[in-house]
Amino acid sequence: MEMVATTKLRRFQDRAIASRPYAEEIAQLLGRMAAVMGDRLSERPLFQPGRGKQTAVLVVTSERGLCGAYNSNMFRVLETWLAANPAKKPVFFVYGKKGYQYLQKRGLEVERLFVEPPLEKLDYRGAKFVARALREAFLSGRFDEVRVFFTAFESMTRYVPKQVVLLPVGGDAAKTDKKQAGDVILEPDVETLLEKLVPRYLETRIYNALLEALTSEYASRRMSMKNATDAATDMQGMLKKQYNRKRQENITKELLDIVGGVEALR
Amino acid sequence: MAGTLTLRVITPTRIVLDEPVESVRIPVLDGSLGVLPRHAPMVAALGAGLLHYKSNGVEKVLFVSEGFADVRDNVMRVVTEACEPSTDIDEKRARAAEARARERLAQRGKGMTGEQAIDALRAEAALRRALMRLKVFEYGSRERVRT
Repeated sequence: MEMVATTKLRRFQDRAIASRPYAEEIAQLLGRMAAVMGDRLSERPLFQPGRGKQTAVLVVTSERGLCGAYNSNMFRVLETWLAANPAKKPVFFVYGKKGYQYLQKRGLEVERLFVEPPLEKLDYRGAKFVARALREAFLSGRFDEVRVFFTAFESMTRYVPKQVVLLPVGGDAAKTDKKQAGDVILEPDVETLLEKLVPRYLETRIYNALLEALTSEYASRRMSMKNATDAATDMQGMLKKQYNRKRQENITKELLDIVGGVEALR
Repeated sequence: MAGTLTLRVITPTRIVLDEPVESVRIPVLDGSLGVLPRHAPMVAALGAGLLHYKSNGVEKVLFVSEGFADVRDNVMRVVTEACEPSTDIDEKRARAAEARARERLAQRGKGMTGEQAIDALRAEAALRRALMRLKVFEYGSRERVRT
């Protein structure tokens, strides 16, 4: 099982790497268009906080267990955030059955559980689907922002649950770098380009978050499977030693009996 | 000759193409647009359609879905969600998709409910995609005959 997890881990890692040039290109274009827009950017609905009072939260967890503390680490981060923001009424969007079960038990409001495509079969279209659902939720005006809780993959042994703000688009993407704007021909115009870029940008971010979560899940699963194998091997060694010692004891005892019997008969 | 321009086609799953070309014609939202080497910096939105390019004197075609083209420093980056070279297109599948879409469109009647209207739109889009794929395929087979 350790091997299975390792192979899958590699596959997801490769996919994450393959998607990087596309994501970088889109982010870069968005940054430049945002720079061209300048002050007019704040008029776009996706770039400013929503009118709603609630917060939409996407939580990415695993479908199955046997993956160590992967899910419970995520829940811990989630609980910390909940405790720090008691005024916000979060509405959850969930990927992964484990997260759904947890939120249900906690009595939190789950708006939607994504089951199709299953995380393991995730492709870009799946991410597109999730991104669209979240964008529409944000535009419906019920929410002030959309957050994503996922496990970021740092290395084979390090994966940290974290949260990012997906919407409104802000931070790095909307950082307007004046010199980036430059002299560029725009076809057809900046508004249209921006309107088409933002959904793509959200998709790449979701795709990346889901892939990282998947990679982390398998890294975590690999570790716990390795620990299980190691523990079983240790236990096997110990049991074998105990068994052999017991057996030797019995043999010695029997021999003593026989020798004792022979002595008595003489 | 005026030199070359690097054409790089990037999708979420792979970099489809990265090579020097003599000219490119991209499908933009309201038609098509030719780009030659040393073009001024430009960002363009792409509509789904055919991307023609000329490499070593041979004209080639790719199918691209919606996306963007970013031209600067003599490099054209085409960022699109899906892109298929003609060799990857399954003619039978495309023809089947075309037939299916046409059939669905033929059933379209008056007094459609909202859902049916959406279905019709979907069928139209599917038809457009199928036709585009077939066109790319035909270009591709011509190319193969020539060489």
